[in-house]
Amino acid sequence: MNPEGAPFPLDLPEVLRTRPLTVGEVTPGRLDDHILAFPARVPPRKWFIALACTASLMTLGLALVGYTFYMGIGVWGNNSPVFWAFGIINFVFWIGIGHAGTLISAILFLFRKRWRNAISRFAEAMTIFAVMVAGMFPLIHVGRPWLAYWLFPYPNQRGIWPNFRSPLLWDVFAVSTYFSVSLLFWYLGLLPDLASLRERTGRGVRKFAYTILSCGWTGATSHWRHYEKAYVLLAGLATGLVLSVHSVVSFDFASSIVPGWHMTIFPPYFVVGAIFAGFAIVLMSLIVARETMDLKHLITDFHLEVMNKVILGMSCLMGYAYVAEGFTAWYSMNPFIQHTFLQYVWGHYGWSGCLTITCNVLLPQLMWFRKCRRSYPWMFLVAIAVTVGMWMERFVIIVVSLHHDYLPSAWHNYRPTLVDLGILAGSFGIFFTLVLLFARLLPMIATSEMKADLPGAQPRHGAIHE
Amino acid sequence: MSADRTAALLWSATLLGAAAAAATYLVYGGPRFWANWLLWFIFLLSIALGALFLVALEHLVAARWSVPLRRIAERISSLLLPLAAVGVLALGSLPALYPGSRPEAAADPVLAGKASWLGLPFFSVRVVACAALGLLALAVLVRGSLKQDRDPDPRYTIRARRFAPVGMAIFALSISQAAFDWIGALEPKWYSDVIGVYLFAGAFLSGLAATVLAVLYLMGRQRLQQIRFDHVYNLGAWLFAFTVFWGYIAFAQYLLMWYGNLPEEVVWYLPRTGGAWLPVAILVFVLQFLIPFFALIPMDAKGDLKRLRWVALVVLAAHWLDIYWLIFPVLGRSLVFSWPELGFALLFIGGTLLCLRRAMELGEDMPVGDPFLKEGLEFRL
Amino acid sequence: MSETFAVLGLFDNAEALVKAVPGLKALRLGRLEAYTPYPVHGLDDLLGRRRSPLAGMVLVMGILGALTALGFQLWVAAVDYPLVTGGKAPTSWQAFVPIMFEVTVLFASFTAGLGMLHLLNRLPFFGHPVLQSKAIRGITRDRFALALEADEGGAGFDPAAAQAALETAGALEIEWLPAPAREPFLTAVFIQRSLAGIAVACLVSGLIMYGSVQMMPVALPMRHMLDQPRVDPQQPSSFFKDGHSMQLPVAGTVARGFLPPGFTTPEEAGRLVNPLPRTPAVMARGRAAYQTHCVVCHDPLGTGLPSLSAAYGAKPANLHTDAIRGYPDGQIYGTIVLGKNAMPSYAADLSEDDRWAVVHYVRALQRAQNAKAEDFQ
Repeated sequence: MNPEGAPFPLDLPEVLRTRPLTVGEVTPGRLDDHILAFPARVPPRKWFIALACTASLMTLGLALVGYTFYMGIGVWGNNSPVFWAFGIINFVFWIGIGHAGTLISAILFLFRKRWRNAISRFAEAMTIFAVMVAGMFPLIHVGRPWLAYWLFPYPNQRGIWPNFRSPLLWDVFAVSTYFSVSLLFWYLGLLPDLASLRERTGRGVRKFAYTILSCGWTGATSHWRHYEKAYVLLAGLATGLVLSVHSVVSFDFASSIVPGWHMTIFPPYFVVGAIFAGFAIVLMSLIVARETMDLKHLITDFHLEVMNKVILGMSCLMGYAYVAEGFTAWYSMNPFIQHTFLQYVWGHYGWSGCLTITCNVLLPQLMWFRKCRRSYPWMFLVAIAVTVGMWMERFVIIVVSLHHDYLPSAWHNYRPTLVDLGILAGSFGIFFTLVLLFARLLPMIATSEMKADLPGAQPRHGAIHE
Repeated sequence: MSADRTAALLWSATLLGAAAAAATYLVYGGPRFWANWLLWFIFLLSIALGALFLVALEHLVAARWSVPLRRIAERISSLLLPLAAVGVLALGSLPALYPGSRPEAAADPVLAGKASWLGLPFFSVRVVACAALGLLALAVLVRGSLKQDRDPDPRYTIRARRFAPVGMAIFALSISQAAFDWIGALEPKWYSDVIGVYLFAGAFLSGLAATVLAVLYLMGRQRLQQIRFDHVYNLGAWLFAFTVFWGYIAFAQYLLMWYGNLPEEVVWYLPRTGGAWLPVAILVFVLQFLIPFFALIPMDAKGDLKRLRWVALVVLAAHWLDIYWLIFPVLGRSLVFSWPELGFALLFIGGTLLCLRRAMELGEDMPVGDPFLKEGLEFRL
Repeated sequence: MSETFAVLGLFDNAEALVKAVPGLKALRLGRLEAYTPYPVHGLDDLLGRRRSPLAGMVLVMGILGALTALGFQLWVAAVDYPLVTGGKAPTSWQAFVPIMFEVTVLFASFTAGLGMLHLLNRLPFFGHPVLQSKAIRGITRDRFALALEADEGGAGFDPAAAQAALETAGALEIEWLPAPAREPFLTAVFIQRSLAGIAVACLVSGLIMYGSVQMMPVALPMRHMLDQPRVDPQQPSSFFKDGHSMQLPVAGTVARGFLPPGFTTPEEAGRLVNPLPRTPAVMARGRAAYQTHCVVCHDPLGTGLPSLSAAYGAKPANLHTDAIRGYPDGQIYGTIVLGKNAMPSYAADLSEDDRWAVVHYVRALQRAQNAKAEDFQ
């Protein structure tokens, strides 16, 4: 048989054809003109309206945080035995959301998946904002937030060090590392685009800001050489962070012996859940962005479809994790673990476990159908379901396990207060405020990365040696 | 060495190994014999399932760079056919190695609740079901691909892509069944829900390493000439990535059980990290994580044929040692390694190589009917 | 010395740029550099650049991070302030791995990012002549530039020849980049201003830190733990009728160790027997209590001739009189508890054990002043 010349139909069936990553004629110049014009323009009215909504949510949230500082944690619903509730749920939720961005910008870069170029900048920014929002919660959920600096290992007159064997301290290191490395990675990716903005802007404050921030980037090949190396190294290191940060967060629970928490599958299960939740938020935000900023030719239907497939894949993995956990709970023959798992789906909070399974495993299965993968209402339904489901999953793990642990005399139900709910809403407000600001102040698409992968951008392979 | 001489050598090794295996049963009794049988079954199953996973994964994500190499993985996965028989025979190990499957288990307060799960009848049903499903996946994916050589119709690709999610589910089920039943039940009161993922990491690594070795072997025989640095680099990169993943899962399980210090959980690690078994545990970590990790860090190393050859061998040896370290401590506190283990090695390595020699002639070296072969060959990093 | 830093030739696609490089390199007219809006594959090999050393730097710093984290945690948990937490040995390394991993990634990442930017690319640097050129706008957008730059010292750089070569190679536009005027960097004014700036910054930040450290603990909400709804000593209280927060104990309250003596006169107390044994420890205790409370009136030797008797007018008892030497132990005890004449009750000053110890000591003093011959053997 002839390995090279075996005949096959020249026109592939539609289902096998690869979809283009850009629609229409996209040249580097046009790309710049479209994307880099946004920071220079005054945003349209709907942006201001959206900002007003998110900013008021944010203000509400921050006011309630201030109220909590003033009055103490008693204004939250935390009480014996559910000592950890909304504060830690929101922390884990928001850190998880950040992981999708790092996966898109780092892991997909290492896989050389070109479809990441159009969405990586936006996703990375969302990572940074999500981590910022998340970092707020460990700070405010302690009784004396003004003493939070005690968490760091500095020489002090108390003569004592923080407990390095505690997962809570591992968290401090993991989250701060994740934030600083993501910020660095994002900033370095922005450098060439900031240089472009610098050249497009006339005199004024913005020109000065872009000049300083772009560090004098010239596009010299000797600089690109080191830059590319740094980028691929940072992508590899950020990949390690994706795995490790949410695993360390899962250690907060898995290292304890609360029934339902001490399950060894928690590290990979949390990482998968994080990517899952993050992709849902990224998807929703990208749909809004591509419609309002006229980016449908760059963030194409293919991008949305592939993200839906990732959500579907993650949903199946979550289903595996739930089955593995449920089976192991039965297999352990440990009555405490078995009781806890029954409480997940039956009992005072049984509705939360059922809601979690429905939202995380059942509804995303809609994405098997091409019609759903290509239609906004279905995509939004699934993405919102995933967001709700993933938040609810943390609620199930934390509140349901805690309210009924080993000592029946200590069992007690938990009820969140309005302050809890207000701070949760406020966290969404902070996040989307930052996203809206980013969309208008900085280039939303990594133009330099996209330019490098446009057709005709690179010399043909033989051209170098002619 | 001529083909006939190789075949003769392999046959004699296999027969010698079979004799040694029989002798093991007579001299050392059931447990030692079955421990070895189980060890080789799980090890080879990881390789075959890992290779099948590679095939299903490629179809699932519609990867194109790996199309030229897919046939090699398909050939390795054909080991599932003889392995199905080996697996069913492995059911003989239940009375010898699995306390939870014995009739006495029904009297133990903890084991009574799951005695029916661990007992021979239901256990066999699970083993046979997973074997059947694995063979089903093999039939759809591999036979379809072989047929496509002669009949280059895209419908085989479409069918494979449609089946890929089912193939993934079958893989998840099989690898979890192997992990929970064959490995986890060795200590019936112990439980860990990540062992499925742990064995998956090892299986993926072994399947990948076996594929790498097969590819390098064929390239050395002047076959697969069109495979370039870019393809080999990707194989090396995946090997590197999953080495990290294995290390992460292995350490995470250990850390959590060490930290919680619960008696029902540390009962697994105490025999495996105590006395004579501690050096084995350390060696597993060094061979499966440290050495491949540092060897494959440089970008050039990931595509370097010579380096990949010995790293893939180390990975396979490490996975074998990993399974050995998981199973053999049930036999005793001192290290159990002597002529029976070598005999079984002859038997199963000889048998596997004999099967693989035949498998390497299945179909063409590359899936010539696949519509994406050309694109796959032109792949550049 | 040439005034031209470089001659720039602009191309409008990457392939044209790449095709032009080998020819220009062969002519050896100056240092060849390319400026592109995105990295062009294969270009740095063509330009003859060495590979970036960043990977090695990152590996070394990563390993350093791992060792630093491990070493620091071990020192903190096993050497400096060893604590057993969770029943784990102070040297248990397993719990240190997560932080080791994170610190490794932190060190490695910052080496990659900042090492690339500052060390290898020497950015930020705003003085590069290309930044002042007309071409830079096109370069950051969609143009590709090849620059023939004057080597260090600028000897022998011929801009006209460079221009001709670039035009032959296919450049669409040419631009000459002038060398920037060289000014001394470290002028006296610059140094003075920097030092002044640093001093001001230190002063301001010091004041801010001092102010916040003084203010923060007493500002709301930090004050909340101080202002607690509980009763503090010396504070008024609306809870009690007399408005005081401090109240006397209810009548009949007895403090521990201070039960009523059970006798009304020292003579009645004579029936009590000293419960403490005559050991050196008890003697030392008695001596300490005597020297603290009794010496002021009764003198160290018990004679009752202290330095203060003139001020008092009263005459403290001489403990060596026959009468007192004849007291039973209990009577001395009773005198301590109830007082006698001008001597107040010492019941509140001495615990019961202390009182009996003093009795032993007084007996020792009495014996010392009336020693018999056999006491010296």
